[in-house]
Amino acid sequence: VTDWTLEALSRAIAAREVSPVEATETCLARIASLDARLHAYITVDADGALAAARVLEAELAEGRSRGPLHGVPVAYKDLCQVAGLPTSCGTKTPDYFTSPHECTAVTRLRAAGAVTLGKLNMTELALGPFGDNAHHGDVQNPWKLGHSAGGSSSGSAAAVAAGLAVATLGSDTGGSIRVPAACCGVVGFKPTYGRVSRAGVMPLSWSMDHLGPLTRTVADAALLLGIVAGHDPRDATSSRRGVPYYERMLASPLAGLRVGLADNYYFEGVDDEMEAGVRAAARVLEELGTTVLPIRVPDPQPLVDVCNVISRSESAAVHVRLVRERPHEIQPTVRARIEVGFHISAHDYLQALRLRARLTRAFIAEVFAEVDALVAPVIPEPAPALETVKAGTVDEIVNRMGRFSRFTRPFNGLGLPALAVPCGFASDRRPLALQIVGRAFDEATVLRLGHAYQQATTWHREHPAVVQPTRTPD
Amino acid sequence: MSAPERRLSADAAGLAAAIERAAADLALAEEPAGFVVALEGEADAGEPRD
Repeated sequence: VTDWTLEALSRAIAAREVSPVEATETCLARIASLDARLHAYITVDADGALAAARVLEAELAEGRSRGPLHGVPVAYKDLCQVAGLPTSCGTKTPDYFTSPHECTAVTRLRAAGAVTLGKLNMTELALGPFGDNAHHGDVQNPWKLGHSAGGSSSGSAAAVAAGLAVATLGSDTGGSIRVPAACCGVVGFKPTYGRVSRAGVMPLSWSMDHLGPLTRTVADAALLLGIVAGHDPRDATSSRRGVPYYERMLASPLAGLRVGLADNYYFEGVDDEMEAGVRAAARVLEELGTTVLPIRVPDPQPLVDVCNVISRSESAAVHVRLVRERPHEIQPTVRARIEVGFHISAHDYLQALRLRARLTRAFIAEVFAEVDALVAPVIPEPAPALETVKAGTVDEIVNRMGRFSRFTRPFNGLGLPALAVPCGFASDRRPLALQIVGRAFDEATVLRLGHAYQQATTWHREHPAVVQPTRTPD
Repeated sequence: MSAPERRLSADAAGLAAAIERAAADLALAEEPAGFVVALEGEADAGEPRD
């Protein structure tokens, strides 16, 4: 059960081949046997999960189903407020973040029948792409222990990869869904800014924060996105656009779509195996009927500077009390990244926000006049060793963080939908990953491309050695 | 000023200089909300008028 896709488990539950309680117990048993090594969870709510599963099982017995998530065990990054559970945000303080209302996305998933297994480990305050955490343990990459699971939604990705949850939610301010998905060989989707409500989620940078799913397949991500997307009066930035039935649009033919392969910036300094994997994936998309063409994108560096000014300023404002009153509780690299924000003027912050508008308009006009989607690497190299990324001075580590997330951060600034999809393995079995970026609110095209790629390949059917499956149904 | 403080100030100054250069020719009418307008597709394709 724990190695199944959400789709497969959903079908099995609907057909009464597996019960919600069995599915939940199996996930909890897997967590009990593996998580001491992986550190994917901060809080496991076994009692709450089983109680919810029993209720859902009784509903099924009465002939009532809440839909495709009925009885499916999921888990949430520990910056989502979940009723009855603490939200540490990866800090030393168990209940660092509180909100009068539960995370809207969690409430929507629960209403759709999802069972909450618990809260997932993350980089402290969601600040860092490597998934190391001095308070809750470094999340281990299930494909290669001792290596980074990526971050900041490190537990969200590792849990899906290792079968410790069927699906998870993560957040993405500079790549924090896509980077760990890429490191752990799972799917991670940052939707358009405003597509999914952030109400009830710890803000890191409200201008850059996005919430989205991590799953084993693109089809599962489409299913989850369809449930959590849509306007929420509790999040003023959430869009009022209607939400399509993404899962019904997945099988539309790709013929006629133009896919741009970034000709500048996105392949500079990329590991050979990663570059080969992404270029091979682009060829698969071409074989599936798209036209793949090289495209020169507007220089992302000004956008990266804009992102840094905005996110540093906003995160310093949000976390000022922790940094000023209990600085000794924060990891030095996390503290250093926040403290820069205290030195940025209001003038520079506002200029960055104004620049963002112009850069976004220019990117949309230039790139999407030529192509319907853009393809690029997610990360410059496969998951690095934890020992390596944690070595050196604070400055060295912070610079390393910036380099590792340089291909994802621009799309937070632009607010465009961006999907990470596994596209192979390096020679030592560390996952490779492809990033597909689309027009604003055109999640459907991005998902179609990712789904078609997965239908034509088998990377997503492989499992890390640490958790060999018993069987994996289609 | 301590060494860490100097480093933070230098980082912020570097970012400020980059923003200042890029923002030199921003139109007077450019405002932060233009970002959401661009995403929602309601913007006239052109630059805002001064």
